[in-house]
Amino acid sequence: MDTKLRSIKYSTGAKVAAFLIVWLCVMSAVGSAVFLLYHHETINCKSYFDTYKFKNEFSTLVSNAVEYNVKLKSEANIRSSGDAEDVIKSNLQRYSLIKNKLSGSVNFAYCLKNTSTGEIVSNIKAENAPALIQKQPSVVYYDQWAYNSNHPFGTGITQMLADTPYQIYAAVIEPLKPGDVFYDDFMSYFEIKSLANNITILLIASIILTVLAFTYLIIFTGRREPGGEINLSFIDRLYTDVYSTLVFFAAIISIAVVAHISYSSPGQVETIVIALIFGIDVLIGLSYVLSMIRQIKCGQIFRNTLIYKIFELCFNGKTFKAWTLLLLSGYGLVNGILFAITAASGDGGFFIFVFLVIPFNVAAIYFTAKALLSLSQIMEAAKEISAGNLEYALDNSKISVAFSAFAKDIQSIQGGLKKAVAEAIKGERMKTDLIANVSHDLKTPLTSVINYVDLLKQEDLNNEKAGQYIGILEEKSARLKQLIEDLIEASKASSGNLNVSTEKVDLHELVMQACGEYEEKINKAELDVHIAADEEVSITADGIHMWRIVENLLSNVVKYSLPHTRVYINVAKSESYGLLIVKNISATPLDLRPEQLTERFVRGDESRTTEGSGLGLSIAQSLTNIQGGRFKIEIDGDLFKVTVEIPLWEEI
Amino acid sequence: MCNKTKQYNGVIEVDKLNVLVCDDDIAIVDALEIYLKQENYGVVKAYTGIQALQALSEQKIHLVLLDIMMPELDGLLTTIKIREEINVPIIILSARSEDTDKITGLNFGADDYVTKPFNPLELMARVKSQMRRYTALGGLATDSRVLKTGSLELDPEAKELRVDGEDIKLTATEFGIMLFLMKNMGHVFSTGQIYEHVWNEPSYSAENTVPVHIRRIREKIEINPREPKYLKVVWGIGYKIEKY
Repeated sequence: MDTKLRSIKYSTGAKVAAFLIVWLCVMSAVGSAVFLLYHHETINCKSYFDTYKFKNEFSTLVSNAVEYNVKLKSEANIRSSGDAEDVIKSNLQRYSLIKNKLSGSVNFAYCLKNTSTGEIVSNIKAENAPALIQKQPSVVYYDQWAYNSNHPFGTGITQMLADTPYQIYAAVIEPLKPGDVFYDDFMSYFEIKSLANNITILLIASIILTVLAFTYLIIFTGRREPGGEINLSFIDRLYTDVYSTLVFFAAIISIAVVAHISYSSPGQVETIVIALIFGIDVLIGLSYVLSMIRQIKCGQIFRNTLIYKIFELCFNGKTFKAWTLLLLSGYGLVNGILFAITAASGDGGFFIFVFLVIPFNVAAIYFTAKALLSLSQIMEAAKEISAGNLEYALDNSKISVAFSAFAKDIQSIQGGLKKAVAEAIKGERMKTDLIANVSHDLKTPLTSVINYVDLLKQEDLNNEKAGQYIGILEEKSARLKQLIEDLIEASKASSGNLNVSTEKVDLHELVMQACGEYEEKINKAELDVHIAADEEVSITADGIHMWRIVENLLSNVVKYSLPHTRVYINVAKSESYGLLIVKNISATPLDLRPEQLTERFVRGDESRTTEGSGLGLSIAQSLTNIQGGRFKIEIDGDLFKVTVEIPLWEEI
Repeated sequence: MCNKTKQYNGVIEVDKLNVLVCDDDIAIVDALEIYLKQENYGVVKAYTGIQALQALSEQKIHLVLLDIMMPELDGLLTTIKIREEINVPIIILSARSEDTDKITGLNFGADDYVTKPFNPLELMARVKSQMRRYTALGGLATDSRVLKTGSLELDPEAKELRVDGEDIKLTATEFGIMLFLMKNMGHVFSTGQIYEHVWNEPSYSAENTVPVHIRRIREKIEINPREPKYLKVVWGIGYKIEKY
């Protein structure tokens, strides 16, 4: 029930109905109000005789009766007055007009008495005419001194009676008989009186209904569900300022039309036209108000204006402001006007040209050039920043307003880069510090271990087993030392925390030096090393890192080669790389993928009994990479082949 | 690990050469004491830079072994303070093995830099070497013919090579190589150039004859052949004798 009611409240039908109710009620309220206002005098009077209309009509008749009987008297009297011809003619006309009017007013009665002669003139035949008249509630009395401010023509009548012996009683005889204006007015008075109550009720009811339905519309317009989003109808897409202007003009036009129509006396057709126009106006006004309410609910009443949109377009542009286009068209416009003036002013044109056109254009060119100059400053800044000069300062105060937003964007990019670089440096430093600290913490206790194992070895233990154990301890602590050193080196090499100072390095010389260093170990491993080299292979490398690479490869060869086999070391060059190829025969089957071998801690022998950290190839690979080279391992059965490619030295 | 003693300890012996050992790790200091005493040195132990400075101001010290990472006053600052006062040899012992650390230490006035974990025998060799140089009191009046760098001396006439005053036995080829390199101290020569000068014949395929000889010489004259002081390898370019 509750939800049903709720869904009805939000339904389009209910809203349309409410809309129609508001429309109809506004119409009826305004109609009733107009009726009540129009007849307010009638309605406010206690009786028909108090109405202004009656007083006006009655007073006119009294005045007419006085004029007729006191001034004009008869046709003969007018003729014999000795007035000018045209005055007599107009008086005659007036005499017949008043006569007709008096005879047509069946309910009007008067009794004129000449106090000096005692003669009584009345328009009613009844004997007791003066008494009858004086009995009526609407009776009035005039003589030359009487003053009756209630009556519109009272003073006129008094003036006419001045210096005359006449006194007059006049009244409308009740009950009224049909046949004259008093009867018609009396009837319509009662009609209006009886209608007025109903219309007042209609007015109040209409106002209440309007308020209710309109409140409902204010609350629910634009909403399809409780707390839901505001749905804007197609009419709301109109810019509010444009819409307001249109509504304003519609109101002006309809007021003009109504004023024009009602200027001439409004008849049946005109009233219908006015009602129709009013109905349309209410319709427009109502939908306008509701649309505004929806926009207010959305909070976009100001944003949805044409002025706002133009403003936004002109001043909120990110990289390029549209107002510069306005400026351009303004420039064209001013120039056009100036040229038009120059052309129109004939002889003076030359002076206008010299003192207005030329200075204006020179100024325009000056400001344009200045703006473009600031563009070049921005471009310069962008170039510097892209080249890595993050400290380059772009002077904002010298940038033209047309490009200030652009300049700010460039500066914020610069700021972002600076921050990123600072963060990267901080990260690198933290990494280096971590390596240094970890290595310190590992090495310090190891120093003691090594030293005390050595001291223990010097002690005379007189125990064969103890000596054996110390031997193992010594071997393992040495191994641990190697492992830590390799670990640190591997992490430094792979994280790029190594300095690389490249120079011209003779690869053949380096290989010979390395083999010289390893000669003893090679002999011990019972291997036969063959070096084959191109005439000269100069590479761009860091000699110390290169030595580490070759050392690791040789160490690998010495550890894992099958004894009594040959090891081939080739030094050659490809188009842009110096090549070092080391081939040996593995002592144990190599059943792993080549890439696995450069993974850390992977060793050819799964049992891990031989010395070494398993980091040798990984370090060699990292060191090759940081020198811009390539490191490749190939396995073909027991043939183990490593190719190291390092960029060739280029003479500058 | 951190030592609580406020005082350095160990009393000098007048007739002995005294070594000040300073490290915040007591175990290392104690081990070094044993080694140094085996070599017949007097030992003064300190655990912070402050204690080391105190010991130096109160005792006659002939050599300092100094750790870098220590509380209160670190080894580098201690080195600077020691250098303001006296010219005693300083060997830095540190777990920091970066080249930049070594360069910093040596630039701050240290005479040698040994990284942890060290080989005790190597350290003793370095101590002896520094001690000999320090106590030689200006050394012998050297013959102008004698070629000299640091404490490496080569006498072409007598065909003798000495390191820290000790005779080194070299083969004829090894001596030839050393003579050639010492005559051109500081210059780098490739394997081929050395071969041509020493063997007096063009090197078609010298292979690794020269490198093998050089390694053997290094093993004889250097305390740690992997980190040579005098006969240095310039990888991919050649060899040279460092000029001190």
